[in-house]
Amino acid sequence: MDFSETTSSQPDIREFVAVVLAGFGNELSPLSSGAGGEPSPKALLPIANQPMLDFPLAWLEQSGIKDVILICPTAHRQAISHYIHSSSSTSLRIDVHPYEETEDLSVGTCAILRHFTHLIQQDFVILPCDFVPPPSLPLSSILNKFRTESISDGCMSTACWFAPRRSEQGTIPDEWGQYEFSTPIVYDPVTGTLLHVDTPDDVDRNGDEIELRMSLLTRYPRTRLSSNLQDSHVYVCRRSVLDALAQKPTFDSIREEFMPWLCKVQYQRAKRERYGSVLTPTTNTLNQNVALRHSTTGAPNDLFSLKHHASLGEKNVAYSAPPSPTSDEDNKGADASLRVGVVIHNDSSEYAARANTLHSLLELNRSFLTKAQWTLPTDPKDRALIDPKAQISSDSIVGESTRVEERTSIKRSVIGKHCMVGKMAKIVGCVLLDHCVIEEGAKLDNCILGKNTRVGNKAALSWCITQGGYEVEAGGSYKNEKLEISDWAAGGTSSEGNDGTSEDDEEEEEGAEESGESED
Amino acid sequence: MPPKSFNVGKERLIDDEEEPLQAVILADSFNKRFKPLTTSKPRCLLPICNAPLLDWTFESLSLAGVQEIFVICRSHADLVRAAIRESKWSKPSSGLKIVPILTAKETFSPGDAMRDIYTRGLITTDFILVNGDLVSNVRIDEVVKVHRERRKTNKDAIMTMVVKESGAKHRTRSRGDSAVFVLDAESSECLHYEPVTGYPPKTQVGIPREILAEHPEVEIRNDLMDCSIDVCSVEVPSLFQDNFDWLDLRRDFVHGVLTSDLLMNTIHCYVVKEGYAARVKDTKSYDSISKDILARWTFPLVPDDNHPGGHAYEHLRGNRYIAKDNTVVLSRTCKIGNNTLIGSSTHVFDNAQVISSVLGQKCKIGVNTVIRNSYIFDGTTIGANCVVENSIIGAKVHIKDKSRIERGCLVADGVVVGPEAKLRPFERVSKRRDTEVGDDDEDEESEEEEETEGDDQEEDDEDDEDESEDEDDEDSDSELEEAEANQAAIGATLGEDTNAIAWPLKSTEGEDSDADEMETFDNQRLMRMGDSASDLELTDPGSITSSEVDSDSDEEDGFMVSRTRRASASATSLPLTTPSTELLVPPLASAMEKEFQSEVSQSLERAFAEGHSVDNAAVELKTLRMSTNVPLRRVREAVIAAIVEQIPIVEGNMAQQRKEIANVVDRWGELIDRIGGVDAVETVSILQTHCASSQRLPLFGQVLAALYQNDLVEEDDIREWHRQPASRGEGMKPGTFSENMEKCWAVGTRMIQQFDEQEESEESGEESEEGED
Repeated sequence: MDFSETTSSQPDIREFVAVVLAGFGNELSPLSSGAGGEPSPKALLPIANQPMLDFPLAWLEQSGIKDVILICPTAHRQAISHYIHSSSSTSLRIDVHPYEETEDLSVGTCAILRHFTHLIQQDFVILPCDFVPPPSLPLSSILNKFRTESISDGCMSTACWFAPRRSEQGTIPDEWGQYEFSTPIVYDPVTGTLLHVDTPDDVDRNGDEIELRMSLLTRYPRTRLSSNLQDSHVYVCRRSVLDALAQKPTFDSIREEFMPWLCKVQYQRAKRERYGSVLTPTTNTLNQNVALRHSTTGAPNDLFSLKHHASLGEKNVAYSAPPSPTSDEDNKGADASLRVGVVIHNDSSEYAARANTLHSLLELNRSFLTKAQWTLPTDPKDRALIDPKAQISSDSIVGESTRVEERTSIKRSVIGKHCMVGKMAKIVGCVLLDHCVIEEGAKLDNCILGKNTRVGNKAALSWCITQGGYEVEAGGSYKNEKLEISDWAAGGTSSEGNDGTSEDDEEEEEGAEESGESED
Repeated sequence: MPPKSFNVGKERLIDDEEEPLQAVILADSFNKRFKPLTTSKPRCLLPICNAPLLDWTFESLSLAGVQEIFVICRSHADLVRAAIRESKWSKPSSGLKIVPILTAKETFSPGDAMRDIYTRGLITTDFILVNGDLVSNVRIDEVVKVHRERRKTNKDAIMTMVVKESGAKHRTRSRGDSAVFVLDAESSECLHYEPVTGYPPKTQVGIPREILAEHPEVEIRNDLMDCSIDVCSVEVPSLFQDNFDWLDLRRDFVHGVLTSDLLMNTIHCYVVKEGYAARVKDTKSYDSISKDILARWTFPLVPDDNHPGGHAYEHLRGNRYIAKDNTVVLSRTCKIGNNTLIGSSTHVFDNAQVISSVLGQKCKIGVNTVIRNSYIFDGTTIGANCVVENSIIGAKVHIKDKSRIERGCLVADGVVVGPEAKLRPFERVSKRRDTEVGDDDEDEESEEEEETEGDDQEEDDEDDEDESEDEDDEDSDSELEEAEANQAAIGATLGEDTNAIAWPLKSTEGEDSDADEMETFDNQRLMRMGDSASDLELTDPGSITSSEVDSDSDEEDGFMVSRTRRASASATSLPLTTPSTELLVPPLASAMEKEFQSEVSQSLERAFAEGHSVDNAAVELKTLRMSTNVPLRRVREAVIAAIVEQIPIVEGNMAQQRKEIANVVDRWGELIDRIGGVDAVETVSILQTHCASSQRLPLFGQVLAALYQNDLVEEDDIREWHRQPASRGEGMKPGTFSENMEKCWAVGTRMIQQFDEQEESEESGEESEEGED
């Protein structure tokens, strides 16, 4: 690796580059399915009327990282670039790089990372587009842990796990898909070291027991096994980690395969011997190169290697003879801990989550609602759109240019921009994306409506999710369903049947609503 | 389950704080790590820092406010009894009531002792269970208090184990015999217990996933030293009574309670952060505990204060302790190093050096002799110009001039060696029997009987040796006999005037397939004093382990890694021990399974022949499975095989054959699902495998049909089995076996066709079954 070109062309030294991975969000279907041939990138799905991508980007900006490589599917490139260039408030330098992927045949995160290795020339941070970090956990605290430990004892990578808030089981219908289960991990709370991540492969191999190596337990005699933490998918890594990744071509997922493997390198001697030299090629290459660049002597390479050996404390090495490769390797294995650090965020008062399931998307929206203080918009144009007789509870968010007509009641909901909410509509606990149209007397509770959804007169939806552009016919009634355009045609007849049978449902819902009102 | 009366009693006691605190001391070690020192006295009477271990134990217990102590003794019971009678604790003023209990000779394990305690009904309340080799200054009464408090709210918490925080590599923490504890982070309830042996090294610890359901945050601790102090509830002995196969307190009892789905009991740990508690489990811990006492870690139990033997020592700079009664004679030119204890009336002559050692009373250390890191019991004389290092020398031993005893030797009481004797490292020497026959009658440590079976075999192997003198039928100490027989071969230079015989260096028990894995020779080496086991170091858990398992967990790395590992292993380890023991392990496991299979088939034969009920047969199988710890699939295989083989073959008469099958399956089929788990798909595939390799291949379809009719196998299961590629014999070597597998599969295909037809035409199930046949 020769960094001299990079460093000389760019005077400011970049310490970290951020790699933001944006995928299709298959778990978020039908919201992420797009509408009318137009894709609906997951990264731009809003949380409290803000595209979710904003959260990691703001987090990055706050930490002082400047360079962002945003990797997204080719189909989403245009939408995402457009969004990034239109919102100019950010000081980040964001490069959008597309990769070929289709929804059905998704490419593993490892493959993506391998493909873009050439773009990453320094230590890097991988983060997903869907992580909504808790306010009390700045990215810089994770970076600082990495900085300290990578210098002091050769830490390879620092991950971040958090305790998700347990939502009451059973409140969310099964039709919404599986709730993200936490993964059991073993970590050392004293040094903040991630030691073992339980992977699906482990479960396949031994479904009854979690198998831990004795070498782990000897090295870290007192560890903690926790099964209620979730991976934030935020990893700060050394550049050399990519070289190790290049040697493991079979790995597919960073989270499920590569990171668990990296944990094992810490304590499995054979892996250390084999990959230790890859992972710690020459300690702090960048820093030393920078130091050399600033030095007045214009140091040749051999001086550098001398320094390197001296820094390892190998005073006895005869410098005239090159050290044998094996002893060199041994030294590196022994010196560097190859640790995988971990920051455990365990503050139940704050909500942190990855918006990668429908549940967490809804929960995240709601968590912002608890802080929301809705008042009439100050902009007179917007204010005029809201009928004075509409009831909007203070824990709601209503986007700009949205019209709310009289005697409408909105509670605990997020209403997107440019929506139309008709008379007498009732919206409780819902998330409406932009440009939705709710006609007169419609009742919505606990629904997520995709962009441009149209809900007809007196339709009633409960725990439903609609694909963008879906139109619910007047008087239609649905419960616990994902409404997608593809089965729209068939929907006409089946919903007729539904109508006949769902009288009871409606009554129940009304009952539920009433009780909801009394709560408020 | 405890009898009712116990429960009633216990409830009363919880309220009644005044109840005397009881303790039970297991005064027998149930192993032989101290042989031959223990040939003439039990381990609990061996002195450590010049006071018998048992007295240290009493001292520890009295510190905890125990009022009543039962001492369970087995070997050398009269010696133990006499020692108790004479000790200061049996004086009325001591406030302790000590009751020696002599158990039967058949008590071979702590489990047996617990059953004995139960049958005698000694225990009426929560009690403290310790071993007779405990040195502790832990406030056990605190533990008792915590335990009782917990019992008030949780009746299922039956035991509290005292463990000490020490770090994974503490010198007192045995490398050969430790454990990993999985504790609940909040309540320190013990959720999983995994014993760890040093050699062959344990590679993995399996933590049951099911504990995570109830305990999302658990701690995995490999830094705890098991003090073997247990606060038990009254139910504990009765649990041993119910589970007659439990032997060890930890590996059987704790493991059994934690893994049992029947017993809802829980076991807690009490993690001691301050204080000292350790067991003299082996010579290595004898060494480290002696050093700990001299270094005053056990304060207030130190030689100059509260010495359990009642001796008075003066504590001098550098942790030197000299008996206070002015009887010690130290030459002006002798050198006494740090961390040394010298008993009364001991003479150390000119230029002798005593460093980090303990000398008993009335010892004599000759001119120019060097004693380093050694323990010398009372009344021993060591001549001039000798070297004794890292060894334990018994009482009344005479080591004559210019002898060298280096590294880990054990010299039993009354031995005379020298002059110019030179003992090999780790030599074990005891007095030859014929010199003093009378002495030997009592000389049995408990475990010798246990040994006989293995040793008989051993003797067969060793028949080429001269065994003519082994006429002594009264004494079954075969190991000693063997030792005698091998004297010529050993050829130790014990000196002219010796009365001693050397024991074989490598204990035979390791080769015995019945032997406990804890007691294998290489594992024992980790518990030996003075043995750094550096040639085994490579296999210390944590280094080589990883790569070994690495190769199978990480296929792609496999080749490279295993090659490098092997290269490094051969380069650095001594070829002497490592390869042989590596080979030793797999046969052991397979021998276990083979034995299990024969046991099961015998048990089932008996059941079939004597017409046991299915319940009884199931219980018997479960017990067998627990005792051998084989996977459930093996049990299922054995049961199905036995049932199929039970069916008599009727030639040429289909109806009669069908009837026979129905008879057997009706009667015994249920057993398949009663062995501790139901997995019908596996049942079918095992049936297939068995039939394919058996005479009863033609019966496959009918047996399957019979199982189906008895609801042991459902239609879905058959379909599932049928779908599996292995059922079709895929991936097997072509041959009769795989052909047979295919035949069976074809039968299944036909059956499934019938199911389908049946669904279509909606015929009754029975007709289709008929058609099938």
